[in-house]
Amino acid sequence: MSSPILSATNLQKTFGDLVVVKGVSLNLDEGEFVSLVGKSGSGKTTLLSLLSTLELPTSGAVTLCGKDIVRASEEELALFRRANIGFIFQSFHLIPTLTAWENVAAPLFPEPMTQQARREKAVALLERMQLGHRLEHLPGALSGGEKQRVAIARALVNNPKIIFADEPTGNLDSQTGQSIMKTLHSVNKEQNVTVLMVTHDMELAQNADRTLHMHDGAIQ
Amino acid sequence: MQLLSVCSEIRLRWRRHFTAIMGLAVGVCLLLVLNALSGAYKEATRIPLQDVGADISIQRNGDVPEELNGVVFSCSAITIRHDEIEAVRSMSGVRSVAQAVLLWVFQDDKFAMVLGIEPENPLGPGRLKNYMVRGAYLKSGKQQALLDESFARDQGVDVGDKVTVAGRDFSVVGLVAASQAPKMVLAHVYIPLEDAQSLAAESKGVQTVSPFSLQDANVLFLTADQEAIPALSASLRTALGDKAAISTPETFLRKLGTLFALSDRFAAAIGLIVLGVTFLLVLKTVAGSIQERAREIAVLKCLGWTNGNLRKQITAETLAQCLLAAAFGVVLAGIACWVLSFQTLDILIPWEMSPTPHFLPGGGEPVFRTVHLPVGLSLPALGIAFVLALGVGSLVSLFCTGRITKIKPSEVLRHE
Repeated sequence: MSSPILSATNLQKTFGDLVVVKGVSLNLDEGEFVSLVGKSGSGKTTLLSLLSTLELPTSGAVTLCGKDIVRASEEELALFRRANIGFIFQSFHLIPTLTAWENVAAPLFPEPMTQQARREKAVALLERMQLGHRLEHLPGALSGGEKQRVAIARALVNNPKIIFADEPTGNLDSQTGQSIMKTLHSVNKEQNVTVLMVTHDMELAQNADRTLHMHDGAIQ
Repeated sequence: MQLLSVCSEIRLRWRRHFTAIMGLAVGVCLLLVLNALSGAYKEATRIPLQDVGADISIQRNGDVPEELNGVVFSCSAITIRHDEIEAVRSMSGVRSVAQAVLLWVFQDDKFAMVLGIEPENPLGPGRLKNYMVRGAYLKSGKQQALLDESFARDQGVDVGDKVTVAGRDFSVVGLVAASQAPKMVLAHVYIPLEDAQSLAAESKGVQTVSPFSLQDANVLFLTADQEAIPALSASLRTALGDKAAISTPETFLRKLGTLFALSDRFAAAIGLIVLGVTFLLVLKTVAGSIQERAREIAVLKCLGWTNGNLRKQITAETLAQCLLAAAFGVVLAGIACWVLSFQTLDILIPWEMSPTPHFLPGGGEPVFRTVHLPVGLSLPALGIAFVLALGVGSLVSLFCTGRITKIKPSEVLRHE
């Protein structure tokens, strides 16, 4: 049996006296689509931050793609994210001053490659997302669904091993949400990319390979 | 660093950067204009001497003639001895020397200012050649004279006639527009130097007040190495004594008074204040921009941008902003200088340097040389403006980019 791509052991996170994540342990296998559900304030987003290297746990260990991320420096973590992780946010978080293709290419900007190569990569992904006609549009000129598809393309541009999606359909109508989920599932299947998706929508969660329930900072 | 996103940032968020860019542009403009103005005043004060091709003029003050009769010296131009002239010629920094002898000649009920000049010397009164109205120019050793055209008209004399100076006849070979010629060589009659020296040497009125021999003069014009002028001025004073009137561009500069003093003395101080204010303005804008863009910065960190990548990006944006501001500032300064170049400046020529007897019409009244302010932007000043703007940008980046490390994506994005 292969080792999990993500492994968390006894993770704990406190803010002052408040314990937000309580002794969470979990494993995610390569190519798995896992949803994380729970009520608002249950600690889902904090756990996602801990697992995705954006935040360090108060105690416990996280190994992601074979790297012990708790001991890594901020610089190492940034480079690690660039090489291994894709992010999709509820509010899309596109850079408003960059066009669609530039947004997709944003993770590649610090990479030593030509602008032409960056553009080609970004354009290919946007075409795959049926956004070939929106390459030069600024985010302000895109619909919610289009923005999220640009965000998915951005999450894929560095060929990540894992994607962390925080309520990816939270700001979309149900039809667009379903279309986004379809895209996410196809990325998961076709590219064998592991996906950990935070959602409070049980219907969406049920489409995942596995669903983790979070309550009061702990996985149940 | 992404040039693409630097341009997009400034282009699409121009409102955010406008205040800083314009503030810095005005600062750069002010610095350049103050510098140009200060330079222009200095340049303008060279003009009265440049009119006669000189950097320094020398005269010596003496006593008032006992009697206004025959050939006399003005009290502002008495004898400079031959040995003194030779000493001046051999001083370090002196390139060339022109001599002249200025005489006041009273005969019967008439008066004439007579200037003995070296016709072949391009320095000093030799420049009269450029103001010829009619006839030929003066030649040495031929008892010739040039007359001011108004004087000639008043006297009813024309080219080809004779003019008598202290009992000696001179052939009038040409007329000059003396009123347009440099004020420092203003005269009615111009004769060869040796003739003027001879007239002065033979004059009892001159000898009584100031002993004069054939090779002496009473006005000198010098060209000198520019950087040597201040030191040379001091050496000349030592060599020629306290009564020597040594005029340099600095002499005219002092006479300009408050306006120049203010612009020159405070140019550096104002420049520093302006720089300080614009630094604070840019600092405020960039710091504010980082604060406002915390979410973007957090997202870029999520996407794998290191603090170093982000620092470079913000620095590039700040420097681009400052370069743009410098370019705007240069354009504004260019326009301001162009407008200022239409301004005229009246430079007072001290009476002593153009001595006209008080009994003549206009005699004793202040004489001015009116010049257009030679305001212009020099290449080194432009270079300095850009370097200063980049300096402001670099310093601001240094102060501000530290904030980037404090932005934690998990904290910023949690609130979204």
